[in-house]
Amino acid sequence: MDEFRFIDLETHDAYMNMAIDEAIMLAMKEGKAPPTLRIYRWNPSAVSIGTFQSMSDEIDVEFCREKGVDYIRRITGGGAVFHDYEGEVTYSIIIPKEHRLAVSDIQESYRLLCGGIVNALKHLGIVSEFKPINDVNVGGKKVSGNAMTRKHSCILQHGTTLLDLDASLMFTILKVQQEKISDKMISDVMERVTSIREVLDRDVQISELAESIMLGFSDALDIDLISGILSEEEQESASKLAQEKYATDRWNFAR
Amino acid sequence: MLSSSYKIPGGKLIKVKLWVDSEKIERITILGDFFLHPEETIQAIENALIGTELNVTSIESTISKVMSESDAKLIGATPEDFVTTIMIAWESQ
Repeated sequence: MDEFRFIDLETHDAYMNMAIDEAIMLAMKEGKAPPTLRIYRWNPSAVSIGTFQSMSDEIDVEFCREKGVDYIRRITGGGAVFHDYEGEVTYSIIIPKEHRLAVSDIQESYRLLCGGIVNALKHLGIVSEFKPINDVNVGGKKVSGNAMTRKHSCILQHGTTLLDLDASLMFTILKVQQEKISDKMISDVMERVTSIREVLDRDVQISELAESIMLGFSDALDIDLISGILSEEEQESASKLAQEKYATDRWNFAR
Repeated sequence: MLSSSYKIPGGKLIKVKLWVDSEKIERITILGDFFLHPEETIQAIENALIGTELNVTSIESTISKVMSESDAKLIGATPEDFVTTIMIAWESQ
């Protein structure tokens, strides 16, 4: 069975979380990092936007500043995601491009890697399905969004799985003008999006979801997860990227 | 500046910000929640579009040329969707 380094549930700010992903890719490109799965939370809570989105178009930046919510541009495409510290768990999986799990067809690649989340939900007793392009749904409602990039001779996929959902807060952050946040819109979101606590109708803990994600990926991808940490070099490179790239307006407001 | 949004039926959202000078693209930003690999292709497309005449044929051929040169893959949208969004912005004036 293939071995993956497993970096268990950690909490970082947005800049460090996105910097760690890129630092692992850069190390992997040099042959200095093994295939890796990491699981993490965001503190402060943060909103991430897709690499082709405009920060000022998508996000109420002023509101985020007032509330201490971080905002960051990802290196992956896709849409805006609210990473509520109490309400979601994020994973990243980084695989060298010659690995058997790095399939060339992008849609098939999403299907394969999202299998980790489908399996994680199965561990929690939830039946879900991969919904192309990049979602995992339960009963037709989205519970997980995922995004992939291919660079530095690797594939990176990261994704969020919702434990809980605060629709009105999400709308405020995602720049929907206050007067437009009608009950109708909130109920529309509740029609399209769900969370693990809603589905199971019990107070599932972050740690339980994190463990399920670990087991889900291990089963779905038939990989052996070996507990590990970042190398000193990855750590240094991540700190540098956090400071010099991800925390800068130059990057976050680039579009 | 002209702008437009185009929600692909059942799919992603594309937004365009367009600056025009004598019926040619002076500057353009293509935004949205689609996926494009490699991601840098978006800047290459935006740069190549500068000076392009605002008609479907010219825009389509410019985008196709860059896509093929960059061996790029667009997921959740098509080059035609980009053209549609640009033309909606142009026709909004």
